[in-house]
Amino acid sequence: MNALAILDHSFGETYAKRLGVAPWSGALPGPKVEEWRFTPLRALAKVPFVPAPVDAAIGSIPGNVPTIPGAARLVLVNGAYRKDLSDANLGKGVEISQGKVPAKEGSSLVALNAAYAPASLAVHVSGAAKKIIHIISIGAAASTPAALHPRITVTAENGSAITLVESHVGLPGQAYFSNPVTSITVGEGASVRRYVSVDETNEAFHLATTLVKVSGGGHFEAFHLGLGGALTRQEIRIALTGENAEVRLNGAYALSGHSHHDFTTVMDHQVPHCSSSQVFKGVAGGESRGVYQGRIHVARDAQKTDARQLHKALFLSRGPQIDCKPELEIYADDVQCAHGATTGEIDPNHMFYLAARGIDPDTARRLLIEGFLAESMDDISELAVREQFGAALTAWLARYGTAQP
Amino acid sequence: MSLLEVKNLHASVAGKEILKGITLTLEPGSVHAIMGPNGTGKSTLSNVIAGREGYEVTKGEVLLDGKDVLAMEADERARAGIFLAFQYPVEIPGVTTSAFLKTALNAKRRAAGQPEIDAMEFLKLVKAKTAVLGMPYDMIKRALNVGFSGGEKKRAEVLQMTMLEPRVAILDETDSGLDIDALKVVSEGVNSLRSPDRAFLVITHYQRLLDYIVPDYVHVLANGRVVASGGKELALQLEAEGYAKYLNTAA
Amino acid sequence: MVATRETAAAVRDVEQYKYGFVTDIESDKAPKGLSEDIIRFISAKKNEPEWMLEWRLKAYRYWLTLADEEPTWAKLHFPKIDYQASYYYAAPKREKLASLDEVDPKLLETYKKLGIPLLEQQMLAGVAVDAVFDSVSVATTYKKKLEEMGVIFMPISEALQKHPELVKKYLGSVVPYSDNFYATLNCAVFTDGSFVYIPKGLRCPMELSTYFRINEKNTGQFERTLIIADEGSYVSYLEGCTAPQRDENQLHAAVVELIALDDAEIKYSTVQNWYPGDADGKGGIFNFVTKRGACRGKNSKIMWTQVETGSSITWKYPSCILQGDNSVGEFYSVAITNNRQQADTGTKMIHLGKGTRSKIISKGISAGRADNTYRGLVRMGPKADGARNYTQCDSLLIGDKCGAHTVPYIESRNPTATTEHEATTSKISDDQLFYCLQRGMKQEEAVSLIVNGFCKEVLQTLPMEFAVEAQKLVGISLEGSVG
Repeated sequence: MNALAILDHSFGETYAKRLGVAPWSGALPGPKVEEWRFTPLRALAKVPFVPAPVDAAIGSIPGNVPTIPGAARLVLVNGAYRKDLSDANLGKGVEISQGKVPAKEGSSLVALNAAYAPASLAVHVSGAAKKIIHIISIGAAASTPAALHPRITVTAENGSAITLVESHVGLPGQAYFSNPVTSITVGEGASVRRYVSVDETNEAFHLATTLVKVSGGGHFEAFHLGLGGALTRQEIRIALTGENAEVRLNGAYALSGHSHHDFTTVMDHQVPHCSSSQVFKGVAGGESRGVYQGRIHVARDAQKTDARQLHKALFLSRGPQIDCKPELEIYADDVQCAHGATTGEIDPNHMFYLAARGIDPDTARRLLIEGFLAESMDDISELAVREQFGAALTAWLARYGTAQP
Repeated sequence: MSLLEVKNLHASVAGKEILKGITLTLEPGSVHAIMGPNGTGKSTLSNVIAGREGYEVTKGEVLLDGKDVLAMEADERARAGIFLAFQYPVEIPGVTTSAFLKTALNAKRRAAGQPEIDAMEFLKLVKAKTAVLGMPYDMIKRALNVGFSGGEKKRAEVLQMTMLEPRVAILDETDSGLDIDALKVVSEGVNSLRSPDRAFLVITHYQRLLDYIVPDYVHVLANGRVVASGGKELALQLEAEGYAKYLNTAA
Repeated sequence: MVATRETAAAVRDVEQYKYGFVTDIESDKAPKGLSEDIIRFISAKKNEPEWMLEWRLKAYRYWLTLADEEPTWAKLHFPKIDYQASYYYAAPKREKLASLDEVDPKLLETYKKLGIPLLEQQMLAGVAVDAVFDSVSVATTYKKKLEEMGVIFMPISEALQKHPELVKKYLGSVVPYSDNFYATLNCAVFTDGSFVYIPKGLRCPMELSTYFRINEKNTGQFERTLIIADEGSYVSYLEGCTAPQRDENQLHAAVVELIALDDAEIKYSTVQNWYPGDADGKGGIFNFVTKRGACRGKNSKIMWTQVETGSSITWKYPSCILQGDNSVGEFYSVAITNNRQQADTGTKMIHLGKGTRSKIISKGISAGRADNTYRGLVRMGPKADGARNYTQCDSLLIGDKCGAHTVPYIESRNPTATTEHEATTSKISDDQLFYCLQRGMKQEEAVSLIVNGFCKEVLQTLPMEFAVEAQKLVGISLEGSVG
């Protein structure tokens, strides 16, 4: 009930046989499932995806992958780790391995991933990692639409520190459906920074789930950028499980054409004395649709929680739709929780002010949009990433940002 | 009988002893000043007498007219006549100063077995008192302390004191954040309340305030103890010499 | 704190809900349960036109198809309601009255106890009252004076006789029979309620007021209110509700429809104080209400103010459909839940016309073991050029066993429309509380004062006669919550 047709018919039994698991019998969430009300999967369910070939030939890494100087590079093609394309000189404090995918309970998408992911790329952090780890996931459908299920597991031991960059891109051609799941455990006093950029092809579906657990005194800083794709959802669920944990989760999306982008976050404050902040910014042009749903949950005993959340969206044309549902679910009284949300267009007064200073309208628009998005990016503490992601947005704006409403 | 007696008062915050045996006796009509460097327990003393939570009295007593103050709740203490003029008066959004004052005044009147004040009489009273204090009457229509300047907040404290007519008024660093004009106005308000059956405990870091509110006694508080007591000349001496010698002896 | 505990105990001992009495009056009841026959009975009892009966039956048949669609999305938990265990019609006997003087003295006494005098010489000057007792309207005051001005203010059952064309034109035009589970049920079985029509250009000089009272045991109350403000008119309408204290839950599923034509303004204020159940959550009213206003005309305005302190369950979203260009919708709400009460309440502002504006101010206070949810929707349609919304939702928690939740939906399809939403959650600060105590206030008094301050922006939108009552109610509702 409340679900669309299941996809297992098209996913074949190949994976299942090789992995020794039963074919996935779950269902994609339908339009009446509250968490999916703004992101219908009708279009996705219509495509007869087949499992993406794990040994697809790749000439070179797509050009829209940011260059992070000095970073180790781990490449996944259609979810499978490709040593031939990687530069796994990881430096001290980090090891990688390929492990079995944990068949844990989760949402239907996580279960789908668990059923069909070829293996899990496990990143184990035991100390203060010297190098940034850049994971690149490439979707490559051959002659028919294909589905891939990348799986990444990051374990940061107590007191360790790591910076991760994750890029999700694809090769032009047939539509593909990427269903990545990343699980991150931040140990006590550990510090994990993760910067994700999703810039899939215009035909691609990308439904990513991130599951994070932050232990006592742990720090988790994340930034998610959403640029391309026909339909993208970045769902980030974070549990603060130890006292004095700190989370900073920011994101930005820039949409054109018929893109649909959805940020869904769940910030689960399970224990006292933790803090979390979220700033999400989005700009939408063409006939695109931007979605932000964020839930802050504060458990009964989680006193002294400080949790904040902000979503601001800007229309760049007549045609887009912005949907927002910031949610507070508070069961402890001695807390400071707040959220804010706005939608609107570029303030004409600002445009006039810039015009009065001699700036042409296109430049003025770009300037104001960049300024608008900057608030979410200023917190990126890794400068190389801030520059690269900033450059990606600037390039996007050069292409789409000048369209007149 | 003495009006307020503090006997060998020990109090701690989060397990740390702040007051280490304070003894003070306030006779009716007297003004006592407590001076001392920052962090010696001056505000703790006022909070303990007023009954703020978070302070643990480990030893000693506080008596008002011979009655055990420490056994009373904070609101009972207030109705019994202890008034604390806060160093940082809190803002209460949406509650007008007028509504607040009326509620407080009626709480006191009910406790004293008097009828509640009627609206007209109350307004007349406030009008008269604000006039005496040189306060704009419109101030009472604003939400309590919300958006008040430092001077306005302190004046509002004095207005409350004037309305509630306490037996013992404790002024906790009332001079902090006041310019000289505001200081004068506030002091005049306090002086107009001096009476033979009321006592004041004026807590301050600087001698300046005591030029305007002239004390009968001055006590020096250092490291949780009264280390010296004397007449008003002690304040002048402190101004000239500083607290250094008391800090050394107390250590 | 010793004194606080004592205060709380003392408060628990006294009768907290002062409207909990039952009036011993003979009543005329339809048999228990729901069927087409019962609907025909109700319709016949009211001597309704055929189209009305047909509409009711259409709603009922549709309702039967909704058996599995009782809304479950709200953050509310309650046992499944047995719709066959309720009486759908109960009326005090001797209902046909020539004048107010013939009203049963027991009824007059009841309303007097509730603070609503119905005899004109005792009445609040400037407030006309329609009193609804269980299923029927028992008295409408100041009728004559209003008639002279062209105002129609009468029970909806009477309006169906006297002004069927008006009722037919507007009934169901804002909340259609297929709207939602509870509204559909209401369409089938509503028994009475108020009907108001304000003629063109008239600023109604009186507050119109309906006072709802559930008296009978096992009775559901399903009233239907329809208010039409014709071009350029203005009306302020007040609604109050109470019910006896009973161990069983009772159902209240009302529908209110407002229609504002060009330049008209309707101000609708509610103080909802249905019996909330006892401290352990036993008994209390299940309050499932659909209230919606249509700003049909240009420059029209609808303003909802609600003070929700009663009911064990509140499910209520007074909304505005802003169709007319430059029309305005406002929603001011105070919802207080204490003990085991649950409220899921908020509003919908649907912006369709150009230059439409809306404002939402919601104050939720949760104490005891209660849950309090603000749920709201702001939608900017593709044609709502230059529309604006401002939303402020603040929640206050008193004690660490309750919950406060905020679930806003913001959907915009227009670049020139702006939406702004802010929400905060906090508690009464220890500093504020101590400050009040230091000025001699008792804890309960201090809490009431601070909470009233917290709610002020909403309470000050109430008409004067209601504002004072509402302030007291805020304090009473929170008794026993601190300590």
